[in-house]
Amino acid sequence: MNSVLTPALPELATLPAATNPFGQLRRTLAADALKLRRTAALRLTLLSGAFPVLLAFLIFFFKGHEILKAGGTPWPRFISLAWQTAGTLLLPLFVVLLTSLVVNIETKATAWKHLYAQPVGRGAVFFSKLLLILALNAVALVLFVGLVLGAGALLGVLQPKLGFQAHAVPMEVVLRMLGRTYVATLGLLAVQYVVSLYWRSFVVPVGVGMGAVVATVALLSWEHADKIPYAAPLMTSVSMRMSKAGVLEAGHELAKHEWYSLAWCGGALLLGYLLLYRRNMTT
Amino acid sequence: MNSSSSPLLATHGLCFSFGKRPILHDVNLRVEPGSIYGFLGPNGAGKSTTMRLLLGLLRPAAGSVQLFGHDLARHRVALLGRVGALIENPSLYDHLTGHENVEATRRLRGVAAHRTAEVLALVGLTDNAHRPAREYSLGMRQRLGLAIALLSDPDLLLLDEPTNGLDPNGIIEMRELMRRLRQEQGKTIVVSSHLINEIEKVATHVGVIQQGRLVFQGSLPDLQRLQTGRTRLVLETQDADTCRNLLPRLLAGATPAGPGTLWLPWVSREHTAEVAAAVTAAGLPLYGLHLEQPSLEDTFLHLTEARPTLA
Repeated sequence: MNSVLTPALPELATLPAATNPFGQLRRTLAADALKLRRTAALRLTLLSGAFPVLLAFLIFFFKGHEILKAGGTPWPRFISLAWQTAGTLLLPLFVVLLTSLVVNIETKATAWKHLYAQPVGRGAVFFSKLLLILALNAVALVLFVGLVLGAGALLGVLQPKLGFQAHAVPMEVVLRMLGRTYVATLGLLAVQYVVSLYWRSFVVPVGVGMGAVVATVALLSWEHADKIPYAAPLMTSVSMRMSKAGVLEAGHELAKHEWYSLAWCGGALLLGYLLLYRRNMTT
Repeated sequence: MNSSSSPLLATHGLCFSFGKRPILHDVNLRVEPGSIYGFLGPNGAGKSTTMRLLLGLLRPAAGSVQLFGHDLARHRVALLGRVGALIENPSLYDHLTGHENVEATRRLRGVAAHRTAEVLALVGLTDNAHRPAREYSLGMRQRLGLAIALLSDPDLLLLDEPTNGLDPNGIIEMRELMRRLRQEQGKTIVVSSHLINEIEKVATHVGVIQQGRLVFQGSLPDLQRLQTGRTRLVLETQDADTCRNLLPRLLAGATPAGPGTLWLPWVSREHTAEVAAAVTAAGLPLYGLHLEQPSLEDTFLHLTEARPTLA
């Protein structure tokens, strides 16, 4: 054995200081944001809103004059068409895919063992990814709304006969709907997040999510449908109504199913956190 | 092993099982500061499980892990700040470049920004830092994993089978790097392997695990001494059986290893001379008489074959 002059050995007695939980969360979030680069999760967030808007745009571009026979402002019809196209099926599926893709970044890299061996608590790992998914979900919704309004304005230029340029955007209703739709996605987002974390696979949460969305569509007429978190975005989307006077209306307060969505969110996150906090990290 | 100094890493009665299947039984590791501790055992003996317990990835069924003199279960986050680890295959994000992979862990640990370039240079990946990790060869991936483990300039490095999948050149490079880290920076390294040859050239201390039990722990010279005890005298003559029958007292402990070959446990030089004299006196031809020392590998295999009591 070669004896070596080792440089001063580390001081053993003093316990190194750990950063506070918020510092840990901030650092984990900075790392998680970097890992989003060039991922499908990011592309999905940026592009998913475009599809329903494009659909609504094309319908109005070619058939707008038939839809708007009665005259008056075209905005309410245009907005509710785009919103219902997005909210009924696409939005729940988007949330299912988004949560699965974000969690899969770690799973694919077999990085859970690495992540949990870093000097950050398990809570920081749990909440950092959650915050990231919540933020991406918000970005996608805001982009969608921006695209809807942009597409309407574009129709005003390309098809002035439809009258988009002549009428004001019902901004207040749009913003209220934006907030309520976001709340409506939180329940299924949390459930999907916990499922993804628990099974640490891509196929299982996507399968569970797709199955749940399809089952929800079949169960819509059930009296307890408002308690299913996967039904909430759909219910919020169709809750937007047009009055006889052609004014867009949406409730000022959270609907019952939106409260259920929040309850699911809180319940699933609490259960998931407790489940994952003490879990052994094998394989 | 010098027991007066306080160990950098110690486990006390560590036990672990998957459901009802026991994996580790009463493992008491002791790693001195500034050593390279080779953690040896065949596949499935419990090396990876032990490594995961040392990082708090698994919760022990019984026993405890002490790092830097503190209880891991109680101060996990603080203690892990001084530990760098490479567990099995490195955890790399294929969609990110090598540089971004290091950067992700750097941000997570809150390490100074200049360290990213430093550790990439240390493992010789500077030129390939801006290629996506998915294009990396197995050896480059392993080196990138090591760079990430070294980011925080940790006092303790835990490397689980770091030479897995490396070619001979890569293995030599890894060995050189470990030696440099210890000699120049005073790092303590625990490195697991299922091959003794990989470890003996670099380790200062060795622990051998077999079926979840630590069957040997000590310095490399300790292991070499253990092997001296197993030196044998090889006697070559015309007919082994005749020879044994003629000299029943002297050759009582001999085992025939061939028609004309006998193996005797080595006792002393005088005993060797006595055997030679007796064989010639009995009128038997003595073709050869030599000492055979088992290689470290034989000793390792011997340790992991049977289940001797704790060394």
